Amino acid sequence: MSAPINFTFNGSTYSGEAGQSIAAALISQDQRVLRTTRFDEAPRSIFCGIGICFDCVVVVNGIANQRSCLVEITEGAVIVSKQ
Amino acid sequence: MILVIGGGPAGLAAAVAIARNGQEVTILDSAPRAGGQYWRHRTRVDGYKSEKSAMYLQEVAQNPLIHFISGANVWSASRVKDGFAINYLVSGNELTVTAQKLILATGAFDRSLPFAGWDLPGVMTPGAAQSLLKGHGVLAGRRVIVAGTGPFLLPVATGIAAAGGTVVGLYEAQSPLRWALSPVALLLNPSKFAELLYYAKQVRKYRIRIQFGKGVTAFDTHSAVVSRLSSDLEVVAGSEEKIECDVVAVGWGFTPDVTLGGILGCAQKVDLDGTVIFNVDQNQRSSQKDIWIAGEATGIGGSDLALVEGEIAGLDCVGIGISPSLAFRKIRKTLFARALQKSYPVGNGWKKWSRNTTKICRCEEVSLQDIADSVTDLGAFDSRTAKLFTRAGMGLCQGRICSRNVSEIVAGLQGCQVSDNERIGYSNRPIATPISLGELSDGKSTK
Amino acid sequence: MWFDLQDDVGDSFELEAKGGVVVARSDDSALMALADSQRLHGVTAQKVDSGELHSLEPYLHPDLHSGVFYPQDAQCQPMLAAAHILRTVIARGGAVISHAQVKKILSHDGVLHSISTTQGDFRAPIVINAAGTWAGEIAALAGSHLPIAPRKGFILVTEPTQHYIFHKVYDSDYVANVASSDADLQTSTVVEGTRSGTILIGASRERIGFDGSMNYDIVRTLAAQATSLFPVLRDVNLLRVYRGFRPYAPDHLPVVGEDAEIKGLWHSAGHEGAGIGLAPGSAELITQLITGKTTFMDPAAFAPARFARVSI
Ligand SMILES: Cc1cc2nc3c(=O)[nH]c(=O)nc-3n(C[C@H](O)[C@H](O)[C@H](O)COP(=O)(O)OP(=O)(O)OC[C@H]3O[C@@H](n4cnc5c(N)ncnc54)[C@H](O)[C@@H]3O)c2cc1C
Ligand SMILES: Cc1cc2nc3c(=O)[nH]c(=O)nc-3n(C[C@H](O)[C@H](O)[C@H](O)COP(=O)(O)OP(=O)(O)OC[C@H]3O[C@@H](n4cnc5c(N)ncnc54)[C@H](O)[C@@H]3O)c2cc1C
Ligand code: FES
Repeated sequence: MSAPINFTFNGSTYSGEAGQSIAAALISQDQRVLRTTRFDEAPRSIFCGIGICFDCVVVVNGIANQRSCLVEITEGAVIVSKQ
Repeated sequence: MILVIGGGPAGLAAAVAIARNGQEVTILDSAPRAGGQYWRHRTRVDGYKSEKSAMYLQEVAQNPLIHFISGANVWSASRVKDGFAINYLVSGNELTVTAQKLILATGAFDRSLPFAGWDLPGVMTPGAAQSLLKGHGVLAGRRVIVAGTGPFLLPVATGIAAAGGTVVGLYEAQSPLRWALSPVALLLNPSKFAELLYYAKQVRKYRIRIQFGKGVTAFDTHSAVVSRLSSDLEVVAGSEEKIECDVVAVGWGFTPDVTLGGILGCAQKVDLDGTVIFNVDQNQRSSQKDIWIAGEATGIGGSDLALVEGEIAGLDCVGIGISPSLAFRKIRKTLFARALQKSYPVGNGWKKWSRNTTKICRCEEVSLQDIADSVTDLGAFDSRTAKLFTRAGMGLCQGRICSRNVSEIVAGLQGCQVSDNERIGYSNRPIATPISLGELSDGKSTK
Repeated sequence: MWFDLQDDVGDSFELEAKGGVVVARSDDSALMALADSQRLHGVTAQKVDSGELHSLEPYLHPDLHSGVFYPQDAQCQPMLAAAHILRTVIARGGAVISHAQVKKILSHDGVLHSISTTQGDFRAPIVINAAGTWAGEIAALAGSHLPIAPRKGFILVTEPTQHYIFHKVYDSDYVANVASSDADLQTSTVVEGTRSGTILIGASRERIGFDGSMNYDIVRTLAAQATSLFPVLRDVNLLRVYRGFRPYAPDHLPVVGEDAEIKGLWHSAGHEGAGIGLAPGSAELITQLITGKTTFMDPAAFAPARFARVSI
């Protein structure tokens, strides 16, 4: 097995395997809530899992609205729920 | 050049047929690996008849005539002088390829119905649970309920159990007796019995409790409400029970992805199950010259039908006649697909599963009450006007998840049926996948 | 006028006087001359220097140095506005008959008699033709003529973003393009945020009839212009593209008044790319004209008779 990949999400450090999506890596470490909504600040996680619904969007290295179910983790990535 | 968009069973079968006849073919797919929605696996494909997918995936990887471009999101396409210009995004750049012949195999995604709590973390589609597991090696949850309708719930539930998750219950809303409506389709597809037996064995092995005529009608973090449902999906009063779980994977069949063909002007129609699909002839030719369409985008039918359609599209595209046995195979599989639609209908009872505050449009957070108000107070008469008043369907997903539900709700409030024109209208959009303004400006992004 | 209308109708349609900023490119003399003449007509138009420009719009490209600020420029959600106004019409005793396409207009001896629609026939002494881009067809049904033609436009809609854009921001060549009579494609940027968090980027103008087809080159051009004004938009995603047809008259002025040939047929049409903004004004004017009151401005420039048929 290849070495784990480390990244941060909302300031905490997480790790995952190469090829894993951000959402998968976080869910495997019990971090199910990925963001809160714009109006109601309701918590959201993944829903469709395949890039269709955009429920899972997070800010990856400063770029907003990235689908965490598709974007794979990279070493040192800084991921936050909101800008 | 021949270009295939979509690397699921249909697109792969098309490419393999083309390459076996000595022509080069390029496949574009947004996913990181070939296989589409069903053959979505990081390492080894397992499940029923997995050797079939292994054969295709291997041939795609090894045949020098097949070029597979992964991670390529096609955002738009147009007809140009010498063929088609296909614009796609790949690792932060926008590229354009020109193709003389096009095969669209863009597949489908899970159809979802709203219910109280469906926007809470913990509720997801079976496709999401499947892709977490097969694509990323992660269990969606520890105690999982699989619910909804259709045979695709079986591989999802057995997959979770095989990976060590607890499947608290598998709730299939419809009765298996509905298959009796389609005896010919069953008799012509004996291989389906073998598939059913395979899954029956798996279900027994992992002691999964299958219950028919039930479904999840509400969710609150850590528990779901499971209710007995009529065949029209109305809750049987007093039948609700609370079941502890951390994840509900619930799906109601599939919605074909018709965006790209729509952009290119390929004629569409409404299928028996209310989904919008492409009009194609027996050789998978669309209404537009030099565009073939195969797989779920021409009608939901599962991977077997997708494979046959893909092969036919590939052969016809390189001018090879379709053998009677292949044509007959398509008829058999199509009959089976029809039987699926008859056996797993989605009635209108779901409209009462939501509370007034339940968000029908998840992106723009538009509630059932907002939609009802737009009809009664502002005079919205279809999903388009309701959308303009409430923003339902205007969010990031561009109505892929909610627009069908919104239009059924609006029609219900007006006591009428959704017209075919409205269905085709809400299924189409001019931009297939979001593209940054930077990429649009000069082809480059800062990503 | 919009604010009076909103007070009257009593409901919010996201109306906001956010102000507009026209940004000068390299040579700002034409823009400044225009602002001077607008001031003469009572429009508040303030020249702004580089510092003021960037404090109005902090995300503007640093190389842009001057512009004109129009504090009165406002924005609304036109669909909501239309719905609320219709609701008020009904509440005040009016009737709205929807899905009624006008098929025939009958007149006797140059006097309007009745109209036939897909929802039945109606008789009225006065009919107002406010059919937008299709107003010419209505005039033709009545046997008269009105040269209203479509001027196609695309508008880009982005994903919801952080608050990057605070006013309606126009590229200065927008002003030149709007008044142009060139049938070829023109694109010039207007960038504005909306209450829902999306950014609208308009607008192209081309005269190619009612051709609804998509043109991705126009989409690219609009995106390039918007990102040259606001580099921060490079990372913002495009979600949707709208297409529409503006109703335009050959001289780019609205047509408000009674038909030159058919008595009883009135027009309020041809507002081109400003029909939302001008709607309350045109409504006031045509009401005053029909009821014989003193008009709040001289209606002569808008008279339909200016397009009188050249007799053959
Ligand atoms: C959870 C789940 C379980 C399933 N289980 C079964 C099963 O057990 N048996 C069965 O027969 N079927 C199953 N299916 C149904 C499945 O949809 C089909 O069987 C099969 O995948 C259809 O093949 P396809 O080639 O038509 O489309 P897909 O497999 O959906 O492939 C379409 C491909 O097109 C790509 N694509 C779409 N749009 C674009 C674009 N704009 N740019 C680039 N690429 C694009 C997608 O990324 C995707 O890879 C399942 C589906 C799901 C979601
Ligand atoms: C891309 C674009 C950007 C724009 N931006 C702006 C802007 O920023 N600010 C601004 O103020 N304006 C803007 N406009 C212009 C504005 O949209 C129009 O000027 C305005 O909508 C005209 O209003 P109207 O009431 O005259 O006509 P419309 O809104 O077109 O209404 C005409 C009505 O007549 C009906 N009709 C037509 N034929 C018949 C028939 N035979 N029988 C019955 N009914 C019929 C139609 O169904 C329609 O409801 C823009 C337009 C476009 C296309
Ligand atoms: S979960 Fe739907 S887009 Fe990621």
